Amino acid sequence: MLTVEAVAAGYLKGSRVLEDLSFAVDRGEIVAVIGRNGMGKTTLVKTIAGHLRPEAGSITFDGRSIGGLPPHRIAHLGVGYVPQGRDIFGEFSVTENLLLGVLGISRVSSTLPEWAFSRFPVLAERRGQRAGTLSGGQQQQLAIMRALVGEPKLLLLDEPSEGIQPSIVHEIGRTVREIARERDLTVLLVEQNLDFVWATASRCLFVENGRVAEAATVERMRADQSLIRRYLSV
Amino acid sequence: MEILVAIGLDTVSFLLTLLLVALGLIIIFGLMNVINMAHGEFFLLGAYTVIAVTQAGGSFWLAVLLAPLVLAVIGVAVEELVIRHVYHRFIDTILATWGLSLAIKQAVIVTFGATSQSVGNPMPAQVDILGVTYPSYRVFIIIVTVIVASGTFLFFYRSRLGLMVRGVIANRAMASSLGINTRLMDRGTFAFGAALAGFAGAVMAPIMSVDPQMGVGFLIPAFLSILVGGTGTLLGALLGTSAIASANTVIASLWTQVAAQVAVLTLAVVVIRIFPQGLTGRR
Repeated sequence: MLTVEAVAAGYLKGSRVLEDLSFAVDRGEIVAVIGRNGMGKTTLVKTIAGHLRPEAGSITFDGRSIGGLPPHRIAHLGVGYVPQGRDIFGEFSVTENLLLGVLGISRVSSTLPEWAFSRFPVLAERRGQRAGTLSGGQQQQLAIMRALVGEPKLLLLDEPSEGIQPSIVHEIGRTVREIARERDLTVLLVEQNLDFVWATASRCLFVENGRVAEAATVERMRADQSLIRRYLSV
Repeated sequence: MEILVAIGLDTVSFLLTLLLVALGLIIIFGLMNVINMAHGEFFLLGAYTVIAVTQAGGSFWLAVLLAPLVLAVIGVAVEELVIRHVYHRFIDTILATWGLSLAIKQAVIVTFGATSQSVGNPMPAQVDILGVTYPSYRVFIIIVTVIVASGTFLFFYRSRLGLMVRGVIANRAMASSLGINTRLMDRGTFAFGAALAGFAGAVMAPIMSVDPQMGVGFLIPAFLSILVGGTGTLLGALLGTSAIASANTVIASLWTQVAAQVAVLTLAVVVIRIFPQGLTGRR
């Protein structure tokens, strides 16, 4: 489904954040990318989404090489992106935000499906409200749904739990897992919050210094706390 | 009373034409962060389209329809050949578009000569409005610019394509990750802005002296309008042009054109001093 091979990338030429990073994700899998701050997790997601051009290596999605394509082409091929900080359109209404999730993607209908509002009921209640006035958790639900209405095959989620109350974190995690199962959606999740990881992911990649240092199933991680200590605690 | 009506009508027709120029400027600035110094020359080229068509024997009305199309094509060419290469370097866009404005002006001088030309009044009749005899062509300008300006507002705030353009303005990177081709939006919007200015130039041609300097006469008040109104929303352009156009027309008709320009500039400085983000801007 998604194969990242020997990818190097960074923000300035010559200073690479990702260094020879490789991994593969199967269809329908939910994989969490874990690591300390500054280890290249967000850089990785940005590179897959097309916001950074890989300096070396290849990214293959659904049998096509997508490394270096512009973001809108990657979106058209079926990659949905929920960036860190959510990036909702704060001045626009909830409905307008969701509409922008379908208007750009020509292969989906330009009218919103019913489930756009039913999955996260708060979005239905606040349809006409300005998105900037929503709480952090509600904005996160909006950002996820905005990506989902474009019917992606792969969803990139960057720190969805950041700045959200713990009760909602769990709920969002569970819903993401349900949706992924129903729609055969593959999810690549960057996350520091282990609660969220337990609720959603089946496998974890530990990123250190721009490389995948280790991979483990969630069961093994829960059994063997030393992995978390090694890659997460400061 | 009659003088008030006459000044009111003059203000409205100037305001609306200025609004068409300012809307193009503000959309291009919002979308691409480009201050288009050549926007006045798009207005100029609209007026000269009328000269060219009427000299070739075509009708004035045909020229008015043709001008926005011609300018849309020129807009695409300018975007493709100049803007696209410099738009991420803010200061360079000012230099590049300023250079472009000089080049267009000189090209017009070479083609049509430096002297001013006039276009015959296509609607010589007069109409009676609230006891004031007013040229019917000016009434036509008011009606048609109201239609075009409202159409522009409706397009941006009510249509789906307009929503996409506003999405790109609000967050370009996110919009592209939602599948929106931002390059296409840039090109389309630039062409649209140029077409608006060209249309404004064409409809104004019969009531102005058409000369190679006429673009600046609209560019500067359009800039002042945007600064006064604020760049955040199209409503800012409406507010700004209202302030600038009414101050300009009222003072010019009670006193002199020079006094009007001095007063308008002073007014703009004062407003910007009090509202640095413009009247619609948040502090």
